[in-house]
Order: sequence, then structure tokens, then C-alpha cells
Amino acid sequence: MTESESQYKNAVPASMVDHGDPMAAEAVHAEFPDVTRVEEFRGDVRVHVDPAREVEVIRWARDQIGYDLFIDRMGADRGEDADPRFDVITLVYNLKTDKRLIFMATLPEEEPTTPTLIGVFRGAEWFEREAYDMYGIRFEGHPDLRRILMPEHFPDFPLRREYPMEGRGDFAAPRRAIGGTVDGTDGKVAVPSHPGQPGEKHGDPFGRTPGNRT
Amino acid sequence: MSDTRMMDVEVAEDRHSEAMMINMGPQHPSTHGVLRLVLELDGEEVVSCDPDVGFLHRAKEKVGETFSLHKFIPYTDRLDYLAPLSNNVAYALSAEKLMGISCPPRAQAIRVICHELSRISAHLLGLGAYAMDLGAMTIFLWTFRERETIYSLIERICGARFTTSYTRIGGVERDLPEDFWPLLQAFVKEMPGRVDEYEGMLSRNKIWIQRTQGVGVITKEQALQYGLTGPNLRASGVEYDVRKAHPYLGYENYEFDVPIGTEGDCYDRYLCRIMEMRESVKILDQVLNTIPDGPVINREGDAELKSVLPDKQAVLTNMEALIHQFMVGTTDFNMPEGEVYFSAENPKGELGFYIRSEGGFKPTRLRIRGPSFANLQVLTELVPGHMVSDVMAILGSIDFVMGECDR
Repeated sequence: MTESESQYKNAVPASMVDHGDPMAAEAVHAEFPDVTRVEEFRGDVRVHVDPAREVEVIRWARDQIGYDLFIDRMGADRGEDADPRFDVITLVYNLKTDKRLIFMATLPEEEPTTPTLIGVFRGAEWFEREAYDMYGIRFEGHPDLRRILMPEHFPDFPLRREYPMEGRGDFAAPRRAIGGTVDGTDGKVAVPSHPGQPGEKHGDPFGRTPGNRT
Repeated sequence: MSDTRMMDVEVAEDRHSEAMMINMGPQHPSTHGVLRLVLELDGEEVVSCDPDVGFLHRAKEKVGETFSLHKFIPYTDRLDYLAPLSNNVAYALSAEKLMGISCPPRAQAIRVICHELSRISAHLLGLGAYAMDLGAMTIFLWTFRERETIYSLIERICGARFTTSYTRIGGVERDLPEDFWPLLQAFVKEMPGRVDEYEGMLSRNKIWIQRTQGVGVITKEQALQYGLTGPNLRASGVEYDVRKAHPYLGYENYEFDVPIGTEGDCYDRYLCRIMEMRESVKILDQVLNTIPDGPVINREGDAELKSVLPDKQAVLTNMEALIHQFMVGTTDFNMPEGEVYFSAENPKGELGFYIRSEGGFKPTRLRIRGPSFANLQVLTELVPGHMVSDVMAILGSIDFVMGECDR
């Protein structure tokens, strides 16, 4: 076995796991000692932040240590039993050092609310709308917190763990069986409701609801 | 006399009094998919623009939480459906980063070929459709001629033209066939001349320049604030290419330049894509000359986790391999606990996967950071102040694809 052959078999190449910047995380920790905790896995550095001061910390990282490219802001769910249950994860990038920082704020299950990041990165607007759409996380001070990917009249937050894959209520996927239906709808098969259907997202021009369309 | 003057004033005022709301899309041809723009118009001028996305939402992130990492690979084909191979590669790399394994040198080189072929293919479609929106029909037909060549190459790579699902965790599905190499060689030889042809039709074309130069200017500050990536970011003068910043797949061994724009207008974005195609051809040429021999999937790398699929021939003859295949395919291999983010430089920008694993075989969060989602958001600030006809020019130059925006 040659040397190059044995090398790849051991681990991920170094250039794939050098994205994080422990030094910057240390700098953040030195500036905000009471609100941050630093964690590292496969070269990704995650900084846990108190949601109340998240915006302040990210603004500081942007202005003082050059993390000025906004990459992503997303929600995440740790499951119904977990407390705190939700995470808001923000990724920012430093173009000078080519490093990335991941900020993570945890939110409780009851009324998950955190201040909006729009004041620091304008691009957070849609990402926060998506986090609201999928998890029901509210962002204080967001000017336009509507659903973005799901239809406006969608009642649930679909990426929460307890939401079933096959949907619920009006949005449940029809169960079909050979020779009839198995869900007791007397032979009628509900038309699957899809956001791509005309009128589905912004109301039907004929006043039909997704349930009774035939 | 005075009455006439009064009337004139009234007409002039009336012209600006009422805004008109216009629905552009979701079936408008220049929205390239199902994007709906709600435009508020004052005469011919756009006052506000509200992009409405989500018509192509297929709950991919939810689906990702119900499968093991292997089974999600076919779903990545449909993210940026103009460059499915690229998505496969980006996803496989993210999964490998989480699993802590890597892929053999030959598989890396093959993945580079996949990456660059799909980049050329996606840019060709973007360019052709863009030119057609602005009235240059010929370019569209020409780019599709070259796309056909690329699709035949992709067919040689994996048997499918569109839904490739070519990568596996730890490598690629199979080695390239012998007759692939002369075809790729011919393509690499022919392509620069073809790009010259497109440029000859557009780059100094007076109509093209008038429609694109100075239109839809994205400043550097705006680009950073909105999280733009890919050619859109680089056209605004920011030098950020994941292939250079964090070379994956051995990109540090290939010589190529990253084109940077200066103005950030539609013309710069067009030029960036044209030049990127040339650079991609350069990379392909280098891969052709340097590709090493060896295995294409890393079967020994994770003896502990057993997450890599066994050789298909062995599955048919060897009981151990059959059990292994069955375990990987049906139940589980346990993932290490942790969270990783990995992004690759896709044709549209940085396609990232944030995978959270709490052990077990299903990720508990599979976030897809689609570049088009961020790239589209800038329209709210970019379009107002332009004429209606400029909207098509701006949309085409942003070069988005709804598959990865809506996910």
C-alpha cells in the first residue's frame, strides 16, 4: 500500500475540517464571558449564546473580528422531551481569514421567541421567516413574519418532531388502497393539497377549501 | 385658456396617482420555474417587489429526518435540478465529514469531473435562458447543443441523464467506463471554441450591453448582507470561492482562476459565468491528465462503523457482504453524535448541508442551505427603481433555480 493510499483511509482531509476558528471563538468568549460556551466537532466551532444577547454578540463578531458574510440562519428541534427544545443556529463567515463561526441560541418550548437579526444582516429576513414557518419560532422586531414556504393557511409547524410525515387534518396525504379507500371517506379520495396548486397558497378564486375540492 | 392648463395639471398628477399591482409568475416563462413576483408598478417603473416562493416545496428537510444518510442521496438530485451531480457530491462530502471518512484519490478526481461538468451545464442553461429572455434566441439553441453533449457524458458516467444519484458515502457508485475518456477529451477540446462563439454573439453586442450594463447593480455591502454566494457574490467584487477557501476534493492541486467582477451589474454576472465555464474546462483538462488509478470507494475506511456499501459483485457471492449490504440498506449503521456543516461550491453558489446527529441512524436535523434562497431575497431591494423590462434582465442574471430555493 502506498503512502497516499493509506492516508485517505484514516480520516477526512484536513481542508474539510478546518472551517472553524477556535481563536475567534475565544475572542468572543473573552468579550462576553457570561453568555457564551464554545464547542467543537470536526473542526466546526459552535458558540452557544444567550438568545437575549445573540444579536449583540453577532454584531460584535461582524464589526470587530470581521465575520461579515451572512451564510445561514435556521431553526432546529431537539424533540418534545428536551428542555430547552429549540435552537436558532446562525452561520457567519470571515472573508479575510476564511473561517466560519456557528452561533447557537436555545429557546424553550413555550413561546420560543428571540430578537430578530435583521438589524445586523438584512438577509436574515427570509431565513427567519422560514424558521417561523417550520418551527413556530417567533422573531421579535421582524417586520414581516409570515409563512414563506408553506401555504398561508397551513395550521401547523411541519418540521417540529411531532408533526407526522404524512401530514395532518386538511393537509393529510390521502391513503389509497386498491378498490377503494382505507380512510372511510366513502370512496372519495381527497385531492392531495399541494402548495404548487393554483389558489392553494393565496386562497382559491372559487372559494373552495382544500378539503372539499372534487 | 386657464381651463386647459388646469386639465393638463390634472392629467399629469393622475399619471402618478395610482399604483398597479402585477402578478409575475408563477407560470411566467422568465421566472424559470415557479417563482411569483408581486410587482407594484408606477407606470413602467417598479416601486416594490415581493418575491413569493414556496411553490416547489417538497419538504426535503423533513424527509431527510426519516431516512438514513444513504437513502437521502436520490433526493439531492432534485435540489438544483440543473446540476444534480454537483448536489450528489456536496451531500456525500457532508455525510463523509460527519462519518469521519474520506474518499479515495480516484473517486475525488471523478467527483471533480462531476462537479465541473455540472457547473458548465448549469451555466450553459442559465446563459441560454437569460439570452432568450432578452431576445437572443440563437444562444439558447447553441447552449442546448453543448448541454446535450454534457448529458451524454453524464449518461456514460452513471447511466442516467438527469436523476443521477451517482455518489455514495465514501466514494462513487462505479468507476467510469473506458469509452468515457475520449468523449470527455473531445468535449474539453471543443468547449473553449464554443464559449468564444457565445461571447462573440453577446459580449460586444450593443443591445446586450444596453440591456445589462448598469442594470441591477448589487453593491459589495448588499451582497454580504444578503448572504449571496457563487457568481452573484463574485460579480460584486468579493473574492469568495469555496474551492479556493477550503479546497475539498483536491482542488488545491488544480490550477484555475476565480473570476471577480467590479460593478456587480447584470453584465458582470454574465461575464463571471462565461469565465467560470472556461476555468471549469481548464480543470477538466487537468483532471484528464492527472487522474490516478485505484479504488473508487473507500471500503476499508470505516471498518468500525460499516457505513459504506459493499461491492455489488461481492454481495452476490459472499454472505458477509450480503449481510453488510442488508444492514446498510435496511436498518442502520450508527452515526457518531455531533453536528457538522459542510458546503461545496455549486454552480449557483454555496450549497451547504447542516447535519445534526444524536447517534442512531437517522439525522435529527438535515438543513439544506440552498444558495438560490439567499440569492432570490436580494430581489426585494434590487428590482425597485427599474423598468418592467429590466426585471427579466435581473432575474436572468441572478440565475436561480427554484428546486433548491423551495427545497
